[in-house]
Amino acid sequence: MPIVLAPQNKELQIIRIAADDKTKKHLESLGITANGNVTVLSSSGGSVVCKIKDGRIALDSNLSTKIFVR
Amino acid sequence: MFNSLTGSTAHVGNWPGVTVDKRDGVYKKCAEPISIVDLPGIYSLSPYTPEEVIARNYLSDEKPDCVINIVDATNLERNLYLTTQILEMDVPMVIALNMMDAVEKNGDKIDANELEKRLGIPVVKISALREQGLTELMDKAYNESKKRRCGVTVLQDSEIAHLIEDVKTALSGENVANPLFHAVKLVENDELEVEAHKEVLGVVNAFKATFNDKIFGNDFEALIADGRYKYISRHFAPVLTRKDRAKFGMTKSDKADKVLTHKIWGIPIFLLILFAIFHLTFSEDFLFLGAIFNLPSLEDFPKFLVEVDGEMTLGYGARWLQCIYDGGVMSPGVIINNIWNNMIVGELFGWIRGLVEESGMQPWAIGLINDGMIEGVGAVLSFLPPILVLFMFFSILEDSGYMARIAFILDRMFRRFGLSGRAFMPMIMGFGCSVPAMINTRTLADEKERTATIRVIPFFSCGAKLPILTAVAGAMVGAFGVGNADIITFAMYVLGIAAAILSVLLMRSTSLKGETPPFIMELPAYHAPQFKNLMLHLWDKTKHFVKKAFTIILASTIVIWVLTHFSFGWQYLDDEFINESILANVAMLVQPVFTPLGFGSQLGEFGWVFVVAAISGLIAKENVIGTFATLASCLAAGGHIDINGLDIMAENGIDAVRAMIMANPAITGAALVAFIAFNMTTIPCFAAVGTAKAELQNKKRFNYTLLFWAAASYVIGATIYTVGAWWWTCFIWAVIAAGTVTFIVLRNKKLAKKESLTL
Repeated sequence: MPIVLAPQNKELQIIRIAADDKTKKHLESLGITANGNVTVLSSSGGSVVCKIKDGRIALDSNLSTKIFVR
Repeated sequence: MFNSLTGSTAHVGNWPGVTVDKRDGVYKKCAEPISIVDLPGIYSLSPYTPEEVIARNYLSDEKPDCVINIVDATNLERNLYLTTQILEMDVPMVIALNMMDAVEKNGDKIDANELEKRLGIPVVKISALREQGLTELMDKAYNESKKRRCGVTVLQDSEIAHLIEDVKTALSGENVANPLFHAVKLVENDELEVEAHKEVLGVVNAFKATFNDKIFGNDFEALIADGRYKYISRHFAPVLTRKDRAKFGMTKSDKADKVLTHKIWGIPIFLLILFAIFHLTFSEDFLFLGAIFNLPSLEDFPKFLVEVDGEMTLGYGARWLQCIYDGGVMSPGVIINNIWNNMIVGELFGWIRGLVEESGMQPWAIGLINDGMIEGVGAVLSFLPPILVLFMFFSILEDSGYMARIAFILDRMFRRFGLSGRAFMPMIMGFGCSVPAMINTRTLADEKERTATIRVIPFFSCGAKLPILTAVAGAMVGAFGVGNADIITFAMYVLGIAAAILSVLLMRSTSLKGETPPFIMELPAYHAPQFKNLMLHLWDKTKHFVKKAFTIILASTIVIWVLTHFSFGWQYLDDEFINESILANVAMLVQPVFTPLGFGSQLGEFGWVFVVAAISGLIAKENVIGTFATLASCLAAGGHIDINGLDIMAENGIDAVRAMIMANPAITGAALVAFIAFNMTTIPCFAAVGTAKAELQNKKRFNYTLLFWAAASYVIGATIYTVGAWWWTCFIWAVIAAGTVTFIVLRNKKLAKKESLTL
């Protein structure tokens, strides 16, 4: 499911990132990679704040529908 | 960090992107002086933002002797990602584990020695905030720079290790420096690398065709990223021992975020904080104590009054008191402002003026020094306190980490206008002063978004434009007995915001088209702002400002003074004959241009004063009302108007504007409103124009920006005047607007079609 629909405070695994190359590389350097772990901290109106490794990353609604987790 | 090593005062903030260019400095406490280059803070060596390109080019092209890789220990795994990329270069490296104090405060531990062993490069624990461990770090870096290091990769166990090896061999055959680094980037299909080494790309693509991983398919880039993180968590992460904590235990930062980035309460809380900042900076009635308790003003107490030249004024001591209290307690920002302006600058400049007047120089020299130079520089210096106070509050917000949250909560709203949430901060700073606001746009990743933001910043009416509003609005109420000054002032602020939104929409759908960049932002943990940091930042700002006051602005005030006091025959003119000056003549020449705005040719003999005022506003917006005051006294001295009962030199400028209305009986209320609107949205002051030029870094773009400002203000002024004078013209404007929108929409459709055809 896309990360925007994912339950909060549960460790999830990223399975696919459907963004363009440049954005994807940027996400990777922030720790958001396919096969990596992520925890959603809060999600409101499409925007998502998630915890990746030890950092907090905010994503807009456009991106949060393109990151698929399990 | 860079500041404490080199003793400079570069600005440091609590979000990535504050250092946007590289800076040089020298560290002198080692065996030989070491030149240090501070590169922008980055997440990786893939080019996403301009600063990542700067850092990458420096590392691979300039061949530094040693890299100090500053790693944020509070997020070790993520930050070692960059480390694994630099490891692939043939350059010595030292790792500085920063923020160790924060890690230890959480009860966690990092075994630096173990990390050093596993990485094979020196690791030093430091605290940049507290300036600990820096000497040791520099010593290690110095030693390391004497050695050589060969690039190693953490990908040697992955499925594509031999591909990387092949590409590396091919590249070293062509004498490429840092072959391993470039090889990995090439396999990642990095856009810069593909450009540079087209000939080797075939190897990669051939391999790619035969490769299929069960998770990643043949997406090497994701495979490599995953390989790096896997290696990091397997080999490096164990050096971190965490204190027992529930796995999803909330940190204090997370708890604060629950409230501050709340779906519903986030924006109201933010507005409240913003209001508090403006209240603390600008309010002359702190916490509304004066209005609530109906406190008396100082002049109501006879014992504070002394007689000077037959008039009762406040005594010297009472004037100090007036800085703090006058019918209401002043807010801290206003207290600083009053002390600076009324007591320090006012007294000092008054004293200098006195000296000049009694020096027995030629009258024109006295005029030049007193009315030209001192007046001009004084006007600019008087704006130092509010700008600094406002800057301080914004620095605190930035330093604490709240700024990143604001950008996040406002992102959704801004997206509709084609901007990302990051554009918000510079805009709100525009209400204080356009200059810092334009500098702040550096945090925007997208060039077009940045240009659009810089262009609309002047529409957010700055502090210097406020006097124009209050004075003209007050005069309108007095002269025509219409309306309410507060409502006119407020409406103008709203007009500015509306104009900004419309312009952004317009630009983003025409000349500055482009997708709104995705909003990805790290939310750093909240921390208390550092006092030293704050002071350094403010000091830097002050220096910059004072330097400008004594260079550009001083020069321009002299020019204006000369133009108003000499005729075309280069004859010195007294104030009374301002009508014959070069500036007045030029203003009369261009006056017809402003006829559609209501203050042009229809005004008659003295209509040029409005044009002169608007022109002088190009130097500094506070000149507009000052010019009215000067011109009013000249006109009165020449017997053109009767200013009985008006106090034209009053600070609020209302009566000066009324005198102008008397000199031009033909002017209407609509024309005056158009005049305010024109001044608010036109080309901003000298300082802001200079900043815009520096920030846009492109001559053509800058010229278009000037043109845009001039055109926007002209259209807005003309609309207001014509609609105000003849209400039915609103239909004409509506038709024009509708036509423009339709034209743009149709053109965009056509362009989109063309694009899809060529693809």
